Amino acid sequence: MQWDFQDIDNQARTQAQAINSPQALEAFRLQYLGKKGLVAAIFASLGAAEPGLKAAIGKGANDLRALVENLIATKSAELNSVEVQEERIDISLPGAGEALGHTHILTQTMQEIISIFEQMGFVTIETPEIETEFHNFTGLNIPIDHPSRDAFDTFYLDAEDLSAKGRRLLLRSHTSGGQVRIMKQHKPPMAVIVPGRVYRPDAVDASHSFMFHQVEGLLVDEKVQFSELKGLLTEFCRRFFGPKVIMRFRPHFFPFTEPSAEVDINAQVLGIQRKKWLEILGCGMVNPKVFEVVGYPKGKYKGLAFGMGVERMAMLKYGINDIRLFYENDVRFLKQF
Amino acid sequence: MKLSLNWLKDYIDPKLSTEALVERLTMAGLEVEGLEAVAGDTVLEIEVTPNRPDCLSILGLAREIGAITGKTVKNPSIKKFKIAPMKNFIHIENKKDCACYIGTLIRDAHIKDAPSKMKTFLASLGLHAVNNAVDTTNFIMMEMGQPLHAFDYDKLAGGKIVIRRARAGESIVTLDGIERKLDPSILVIADAQKPVAIAGIMGGRDTQITLDTKNILLESAHFDMGLIRRGSRALGLRSDSSYRFERNVNVEGVLIGANRATDVLLQLTGGHLSGRGEISSKASRAATKIKVKIADIESLLGAEVSSLRVKSWLERLGFKVTAKAGAVTVLVPSHRADIGQDVDVIEEIARMIGFDRLPSQLPTIKTINIPVDKKLREIKNQVRRALTAGGIDEIITLSMINTKALIKSNMAGIPAVRIFNPLNQDQELMRPAMLPSFLQVALTNMNRGGKDLRFFEIGKTYLKDKLDSRFRGNDNSYGIKEKETVAILLTGRRLRDWRSPKKEGIEFFDLKGVLERIFQTIGIDAAYEGGNMPVFDPACAASIIVGGQQIGVFGKIERKILNNWDIKNQDIYFGEFHLDEILSLPNRLVKYQPISEFPAIVRDVSLAVKKEISYKEIEGICLRQGGDILRSVHFIEQYLGDKIQSGYKGLVFSCHYQSNDRTLREDEVSAVHERILQALTQDLSAIRR
Repeated sequence: MQWDFQDIDNQARTQAQAINSPQALEAFRLQYLGKKGLVAAIFASLGAAEPGLKAAIGKGANDLRALVENLIATKSAELNSVEVQEERIDISLPGAGEALGHTHILTQTMQEIISIFEQMGFVTIETPEIETEFHNFTGLNIPIDHPSRDAFDTFYLDAEDLSAKGRRLLLRSHTSGGQVRIMKQHKPPMAVIVPGRVYRPDAVDASHSFMFHQVEGLLVDEKVQFSELKGLLTEFCRRFFGPKVIMRFRPHFFPFTEPSAEVDINAQVLGIQRKKWLEILGCGMVNPKVFEVVGYPKGKYKGLAFGMGVERMAMLKYGINDIRLFYENDVRFLKQF
Repeated sequence: MKLSLNWLKDYIDPKLSTEALVERLTMAGLEVEGLEAVAGDTVLEIEVTPNRPDCLSILGLAREIGAITGKTVKNPSIKKFKIAPMKNFIHIENKKDCACYIGTLIRDAHIKDAPSKMKTFLASLGLHAVNNAVDTTNFIMMEMGQPLHAFDYDKLAGGKIVIRRARAGESIVTLDGIERKLDPSILVIADAQKPVAIAGIMGGRDTQITLDTKNILLESAHFDMGLIRRGSRALGLRSDSSYRFERNVNVEGVLIGANRATDVLLQLTGGHLSGRGEISSKASRAATKIKVKIADIESLLGAEVSSLRVKSWLERLGFKVTAKAGAVTVLVPSHRADIGQDVDVIEEIARMIGFDRLPSQLPTIKTINIPVDKKLREIKNQVRRALTAGGIDEIITLSMINTKALIKSNMAGIPAVRIFNPLNQDQELMRPAMLPSFLQVALTNMNRGGKDLRFFEIGKTYLKDKLDSRFRGNDNSYGIKEKETVAILLTGRRLRDWRSPKKEGIEFFDLKGVLERIFQTIGIDAAYEGGNMPVFDPACAASIIVGGQQIGVFGKIERKILNNWDIKNQDIYFGEFHLDEILSLPNRLVKYQPISEFPAIVRDVSLAVKKEISYKEIEGICLRQGGDILRSVHFIEQYLGDKIQSGYKGLVFSCHYQSNDRTLREDEVSAVHERILQALTQDLSAIRR
């Protein structure tokens, strides 16, 4: 028997094009590849074929099988995709399950500040909120009845300080007291930050709260320079506010640092038009009198220290205009961050 | 401190635009906080830090501007007077309270208005004109920083001035017309009989200069800064004078101030100098001498400096400087009491260079010697993640609450740490628990339309331990414990996903589930026990037990408390627990259990039991009776409908039987299962359904 393979192939192709259902595709498969299909018939005819034609017939049958398998695969994919199109789900519907809760923006800000300093080699230590006058004032070179205490107006507790007869315990008015505690317990070198709540008897308004958060920093070693204080805080501000931040170091006074400075950042860079400069933190080189109090050998160590208000940092970074929003906890505020 | 630029020009012309002057002052540490244009003048509001009382005068600021700009200051000329001493006129009780007092008597003065230039200058600084004598004392105080006072000499009984502590029961009507009760903590200026002024703070009304005054007693003195500060606080009375005294006034200015004021008073009142009483501690202080090594300057600032430049900067600031090899020795001018050690001088050098012009570099941070236990922080972070993953929002509330909030929450019995000096009642107590803060936040949100609320806070509560002595010696507690606390509040509807839109109210088990997930996240085993607990509905409350200790409570808040808070129509589920006890627990170590290769057989059980019987009891009986082939019991469902007889509840659970070494036969499982069911029927009168 003679097989016109070219004609058979063309016919299979034409047939395949017309297939429009899985049933028709199956019939097509059976017609060519089934036990009684054409390919089987061609192989069956080999026995009766002239010896000179056997090789050509074998090759023709194999090629036909490959072609049909190909056509089926292509068609099958085509048919399936048609099905998908018909039943495609609306993927724009929201995902199911609980929405995540929101971490308070102060926690986020605090974590960001801590993380920046930890990446630079600082460790974090928390010290108590309920403090003694020694840690909060005296150890920091802030004498009793000294006007420098004005800046750190303080809540006292109805509880005696057992370590100083007749003196009351207080709520720390700054995290700087943590410096004294930590230096009393440890020897340099050290690079520590102390985050936490602080308290000052202020009347509440858009920019004052009687409770707020601070992060204190302290780096002590045998050789620490003012230039490093500038470098460290410049790097911090770049990471926190972005690389475009413009800052300045302005001389200031803190009893526990000498020299002391305040850091301002340029408000316009943050998109705040009403003022040119905004104060963001206080810093300086640790006053040798503080080292004396904690019992470090005279002249051996130098240190840098800084302290910043977390609320202030968050307000500047996120454009929050009222400090009371942080503690009011309106869900419409909480869910923005 | 206000600085009038017109007034300033009497002593120095900085030859700078206002803008440049503002910038230079600010960058030298005298921050200009405000700028005001008043009738042909510009007035700067300058923040003077407490260490620089020498800048609380126009001349002091002129001196600083002179140092910054290198321009010369033109000081007013101070006349020296030859005056007949008034013997036994002044008596100082304690030289510690008052180191120096000069009383100058001017007779036949003519009291009238001060010249208009003086009045304008004073007005620019916010001071009202009174008369030529009073205005002169104010003018010289603002010019030189030396507070002064003028008495009507004829009103001083016994012609005497006594500087003494007030006696108990004494009082005085001050210039502002208010009667002030005095006590021995307050220093007064008295005549032979009574106080006539509160020393350094404010004069008395009865001895003030009036248009009828003929003879003026001018006071120039130096009072103890701490004493004035305490007195001013105790009386709640501040003045330009007390502000300067409590920041320390230069004692060497007392005589100069007296002479300058005498000079001006004589000119303006046409009076004549009659006499002067003067008492001062003669121990005139030697100027502070400080040696500063150039190497120390360079190592502290991280910048190179030359001793020549250092000398010139310091001389501009009024220091007397000797430069030797590698060091300078300085004599500190008397008005700079803030300079006492070498770093103080180094700061002056840094200011003169300009902080912004000093170099900047990243520090080298060496090995840290401090071992830090991060366990608490890690636990707090885990709790926060578990809670936010459960769709609960973090809040931060104030650590202080008012007593009323505690009473409204039925917690008045908890000993709370009291604030000694609260400004208002919202700052009365350190919160002993978080519930009041949470109810406040819930109420705030409900009043603004919020209904489905889910909050948590990780913060501190403050507990007063009655057994003070237990904590003696512990530097951190003093009988007051700062407890790390977690609180959770759930109210409103459970938020299901949109595929099953039915929304049900939050209930006890939602909160219990949250807690279970927290403890699973931390990796500790917690148990829950029912019982009566304050603040909770007795039918719906439990305690949390960890490591054998109760660490917290949770449940449905009592209706009575919600009514106190005006929270209507909505139940509140709330829980609060401490983290401190968890910190001391050893970490849980899970040991691997081999997984059985043999199939499990599961039998469901449906029972009706009396309502008071707990599932825990049923589970216990199953596990006891189940022998070694009962692997676990799983709760499926609870029915509380009317299909069950009253007083009973329906429970469905399944028993999982499995062995590690063989395939269990149906009959052996059936035998054990039957044993369990019988035990439940006998012991708990359970009815099989």
